[in-house]
Amino acid sequence: MSDKKSLLKNPRVIIFIVLLLGSIVAIHPGYTPGKGVTTNLNFGLELEGGSWLQIKLVGTLAQIDADSGKLVSGIVEPIIGAPIQITSNSLDVGGATNQSVTFTTSGTVNSSQLDYLGTVNVDKLSGNTTQVTISDISKQSLIVSYLSRALDAEVVPTSTQNGVTYEIRTSVTEQKLESLLEKVGGSIHKNEDGTSTYKEGVTTATRDLTKNILSDKLNSLGLKDIPVRTVGDQYILVDFAGIDLATAKEIAEKPGKFEIRIQTTGNETEHVLYGQSVVSVGIPTYHDQQWHTPFTLNDEGARTLQKVALQTGAIDNPESHYLIMYLDGVKIYGAPLSSSAAEKLRESPIYSWEASTGSDDAAKAEATALQVHLRAGALPVNVELVGSGHVDAGLGAQFKTAALITGFISLIGVAAVVYFKYRRPEILIPMVGTSTSEVIMLLGVAAIIGWQLDLASIAAIIATIGTGIDHLVIITDEVLHEGKLPPSKVFKSRVGKAFAIVLGAASTNVIALSPLVVMGFGTLKGFAITAIIGVFIGVIFARPVYAVVIKELLHVDENGSASITE
Amino acid sequence: MATGLAEILDNFVKSHNDRQLLALPLAILAVALIILLVSFVRTGSPVNLGMDFQGGTQISIETTDSPAVLEKMYSSYPISDARQSGSRVIMDFGVMDSNKQDQLEKDIMSRYSNVQIQQVGPTYGKTLQVQAIEALVISFIGMAIVVFLLFRTFVPSFAVILSAFSDIIIAAAFMKVAGIELSLGTLAALLMLIGFSVDSDILLTNKVLKRRGTVEDKVSKAIHTGITMTSTALAALASMYIVSNFSYLFMSSFTQITLLSQISIVLIAGLIADMMNTWLLNTGILRWYVMKPEFRGRYNR
Repeated sequence: MSDKKSLLKNPRVIIFIVLLLGSIVAIHPGYTPGKGVTTNLNFGLELEGGSWLQIKLVGTLAQIDADSGKLVSGIVEPIIGAPIQITSNSLDVGGATNQSVTFTTSGTVNSSQLDYLGTVNVDKLSGNTTQVTISDISKQSLIVSYLSRALDAEVVPTSTQNGVTYEIRTSVTEQKLESLLEKVGGSIHKNEDGTSTYKEGVTTATRDLTKNILSDKLNSLGLKDIPVRTVGDQYILVDFAGIDLATAKEIAEKPGKFEIRIQTTGNETEHVLYGQSVVSVGIPTYHDQQWHTPFTLNDEGARTLQKVALQTGAIDNPESHYLIMYLDGVKIYGAPLSSSAAEKLRESPIYSWEASTGSDDAAKAEATALQVHLRAGALPVNVELVGSGHVDAGLGAQFKTAALITGFISLIGVAAVVYFKYRRPEILIPMVGTSTSEVIMLLGVAAIIGWQLDLASIAAIIATIGTGIDHLVIITDEVLHEGKLPPSKVFKSRVGKAFAIVLGAASTNVIALSPLVVMGFGTLKGFAITAIIGVFIGVIFARPVYAVVIKELLHVDENGSASITE
Repeated sequence: MATGLAEILDNFVKSHNDRQLLALPLAILAVALIILLVSFVRTGSPVNLGMDFQGGTQISIETTDSPAVLEKMYSSYPISDARQSGSRVIMDFGVMDSNKQDQLEKDIMSRYSNVQIQQVGPTYGKTLQVQAIEALVISFIGMAIVVFLLFRTFVPSFAVILSAFSDIIIAAAFMKVAGIELSLGTLAALLMLIGFSVDSDILLTNKVLKRRGTVEDKVSKAIHTGITMTSTALAALASMYIVSNFSYLFMSSFTQITLLSQISIVLIAGLIADMMNTWLLNTGILRWYVMKPEFRGRYNR
């Protein structure tokens, strides 16, 4: 009796029991009539039924340079349809704040054709020569407009430590990009080690934006529980529980409906334009004490907006004619025209707009949300469906039952081998008990962190049973030297020796599986994480307790009864 | 079984010299390497790559239609294989465009129940291939580093690593011969094997290098413990293999679980190879090393 008490005083045993009970509470097994057995465990799609899509974001990243003069010619000449001569150019002057470029041409120039490049000044010189000066211009914006026109894709520059990286939101080969740049006297930069900076992929920011747009869209459809996960920098994984594959594809591909309306009288509004008139949406910026989300309209959209603003009188009285944005019929933004915009609209349509939201953090968040909404569920980059899957709910249920039975039979198989080897229930019961507790604690961890158990995780759990017992066998054989339990002192040193082996073996197990945790394999991540958590639980909590328990049980037995037969 | 096998192995190890112990495992390793090499020369890959790594679509349905009927029915799609698996038929399709893919999925969903569909794009498959090789190499190097840190002597560490290497090669050659494709599941099994196969080698090396006693005695003890360990692991895996493959024979509502079946069979093959490699190959090298005259019996008393 005194031995049993001392067992319960051992801090390791107490921690073990607390954790075990905690796990059972976390798993929260229960039985509801009609519903069957219920738990807090989350099961993956394979076991619950549903579908998933794996999406690759198509894009190109590169650091590039070009000749600014040739860039201006390369951009302007196709627009005005005539050759130009550059007469002055401050673009390559480092650190100059107000950079500008001036050129002359014999063609006709309409300033609105070029005003997306900067502030345009057109002067008629003698004869049929026109002099054009574009100020507030930068080489970066020139590269962006040149490439986006040539490749018909959005180009987004981002500053990094090594210079500006351009993200081209389409797939373009290195040769094609190189030859496009050659035309404007440019090239793709090399890294310090001589490799090219050209790389397939998108920036982390773009990946996250795409993820947010997808989540947003799925949530707006009332599908709250759809997890959207990013895998590496180029892949996004979307799980649709309980939805079949065809529906899932439809949901992911269908854009939302974005609309801008204008206030006419009182609460009445009039349609201005739909989402397809918005050609690009920029990253929110802070200037003039306000957060702004920039966006660009196409020709039709810009002209319609001008026409409606004139008709409704918004130009004369902006305050009573708010512009209101809706996504899928829900109001997401409303503001009046700024006085400067109203003045400009009198003369010509405006292509580049900015929606201001205010100055505080909430305004920043609103600007970011607007960036997502303006795209109306259209993703910023082209995507390619690289993987998909579907499991019927009925099949998932079968998998679940079969997996449960597999685990149970594995445990019985292992117990049979152990019994055959030792033929002593005092060893068999703690061994199987320890192994079962390890599984319960593993499931407890899964329930607490909300881990989704899939078939791969279940395979990992079963493998954990097998190897967990391995380590218990090492401890048992080490302690039970020739079938006899040694005195306490020797016992301690033997347990220590056994743990030297167990820890060595456990660390190779963890190291060998860790590449799977870091790498982007969807299912295998679950497998590896489950197996690694299993190893840790076993080594830290369960196996030391086994050593203590087996000592006490065998000790009691050796003193109390004569059941030792070896 | 466990005790009997341990006795046989123990006697075998005692009655043969180091060179004789190495002969069988090295011969089998050589055969396994040749199998992988021939496959590599012929197909460009040492093992057969499954859908996960090549791209394509795998559809598994519950049906009473025979695979032949289904193969005919879906002949307008790039179907490459249809096979029976219990009450289910598994069909493999090559890469097709998204319209065709949608059409096929809709057709299958409207006709059959308990459907499972898995699709992988060819470019993603390529990416996965590269990652798979990286994962195997990193995992193996990581294991080798841990083993070196544990023993800090070259020959014993090398023996452990060689034995683990041989386990992986033999398991891979087994996959090739048995026609098991490299899928994400079997890749996981190979990685797991890297970690688990060294358990018994660590046990052996630890006992021989760090304990007192005669080498013969220490090896013998290690064999008894090691065989028990491997048999318990095999018992768990064999149960997993049997249930995942044959449960439908007992209960018709059950289904084969390919992932579990693949993981378990590859691990079983690897662990059987591991018994040979640990107790012949690793033991042979280790015993030769510790009995070298320069140690003057340091490890043998």
